[in-house]
Amino acid sequence: MALIHVPRPKNAMDPDRPVNALLKTQMLHLHDAESKLPIGHRTDVYINAIKTEGEAANYIRQVTEAIHAAHAAAAKKRARPAAKRKPVIEIAAVADDGPVRKRTSAGANKTKKRAKTKPDRKS
Amino acid sequence: MPPGLDNLKHIVVLMMENRSFDHMLGSLTAVNPQIDGITAALSNPDTTGAAVQPQPLAEFQGQLDPDPDHHFPAVDLQIFGGNTSPGRAANMQGFVKSYFNQQQDVGHSQKIMYYFAQNQLPVLTTLALEFAVFNRWFASIPGPTICNRAFAHYGTSFGRVDMDLLYVNEPFQSIYSRLINANPKHTAKLYYYDTTSSTMEITNLLQNQPELFGSYQQFLSDCSSGNLPDYSFVEPNYSDHDGDAGEEVASDQHPDHNVQAGELFIASVYNAIKSSPLWPNTALLVVYDEHGGIYDHVVPPACTPDQFTATANDTGTGMPFAFDRLGVRVPAILISPWIPAGTVVNRVFDHASIPATITKFFLRAFSPRSPRETSADVFIEPNAGTVDPARNLLSLGTMRTDCPDFDV
Repeated sequence: MALIHVPRPKNAMDPDRPVNALLKTQMLHLHDAESKLPIGHRTDVYINAIKTEGEAANYIRQVTEAIHAAHAAAAKKRARPAAKRKPVIEIAAVADDGPVRKRTSAGANKTKKRAKTKPDRKS
Repeated sequence: MPPGLDNLKHIVVLMMENRSFDHMLGSLTAVNPQIDGITAALSNPDTTGAAVQPQPLAEFQGQLDPDPDHHFPAVDLQIFGGNTSPGRAANMQGFVKSYFNQQQDVGHSQKIMYYFAQNQLPVLTTLALEFAVFNRWFASIPGPTICNRAFAHYGTSFGRVDMDLLYVNEPFQSIYSRLINANPKHTAKLYYYDTTSSTMEITNLLQNQPELFGSYQQFLSDCSSGNLPDYSFVEPNYSDHDGDAGEEVASDQHPDHNVQAGELFIASVYNAIKSSPLWPNTALLVVYDEHGGIYDHVVPPACTPDQFTATANDTGTGMPFAFDRLGVRVPAILISPWIPAGTVVNRVFDHASIPATITKFFLRAFSPRSPRETSADVFIEPNAGTVDPARNLLSLGTMRTDCPDFDV
């Protein structure tokens, strides 16, 4: 089959076109997503003041990139090794300390249990 | 196993915006009468009572401004012609009336009946004639974009008929989560055009699983390197904006964005797959999310109700909606070198068919899925067990070498 010619649009670009309902919805959804980002990743854009497609596109890019950046930062934090972990032997010693373990897992009556554990810890 | 299904390893879905079947492909009835498009018998009354016939006068841009209303109450008017009585029958007679409501201009309201001539859309019409075109692919809901796109991702809109969607503690997983968490694992990706265009699925996927997303540049690169995921969902560019490569014109075809820019984009996606080493192993579905308020003549059929009901307040029509009727018909084309040219499919599909097909093809089964998805037909048969030749669209014994090429 012969190569099929695909005409190019002429003068189609118009970032000043008023923003359509679909882009408005996309912005609202992104605005909701932005409100859940850590503060450092949020924009200071007032979306009700966005009137054109170009302005909408700029906001959409900022928040989309911020979502990716926030997830990347969180993943990096998760992957970072825990700082200053106690040596194994020390942890083992704590683990052997029965009453202390009980105290950390108990929800209520903490004062009472703490009082009980004190003599053990001293000994 | 038919060789087309045996070779199939990748499924790509490209979802465009807001154009009806008759508007884009209706002209093809004149070329292939099996395609259920425009005929001389079709019309809609305008507000003076005059019959307005479809005419091949659609323009690429500037004609459907304001954007035709396609929210639930307007689509109800378009489908039922303004009849709100109990026991009413759909007649597709309310499109001109609906568009008139936006500007009270009789002449302008008639433009909702305009359709494209075949030679105006060389990409879409060529693909429709050269591969498999669906005569009965409907939007999932007689409503707007976001809830319809939700059906493509989840097989349901979780009871929503509007643009607001919240997925909090919802029972049904996205098709992407199903695939990447499967054992054995599958791969899935959503490709938005770029971060400036972004995605229409923000509520859940972009916020919580941004790693699922890639850019269109990455899609092109994944095609050329032969590294497409098992399932890819491609989104067009939703806005005119300045990109890294210069001016980026919206390619989604949403009125009043330029339709030719969308043609270029469809051709670009097709060319990327066709020129990749994965062409023998890939099927591409090009489909539109909803009709955008533009005329189509086929009455949407009833369907299995979803387990959700939109209240009368939600629908804005004074009547609840049980998700028991499909939306207006949209263009849909399945492309693969294993599909015979001129294939016309008459079975009924909607966007719930997308996760239904992907699930059955790659996973065989998955639970839970929505009632709408479990009852939706599949457009690619599972590559296991006995395949019904009457249903298998990738039916050729040898791969075609005469598929079209576009100069993009």
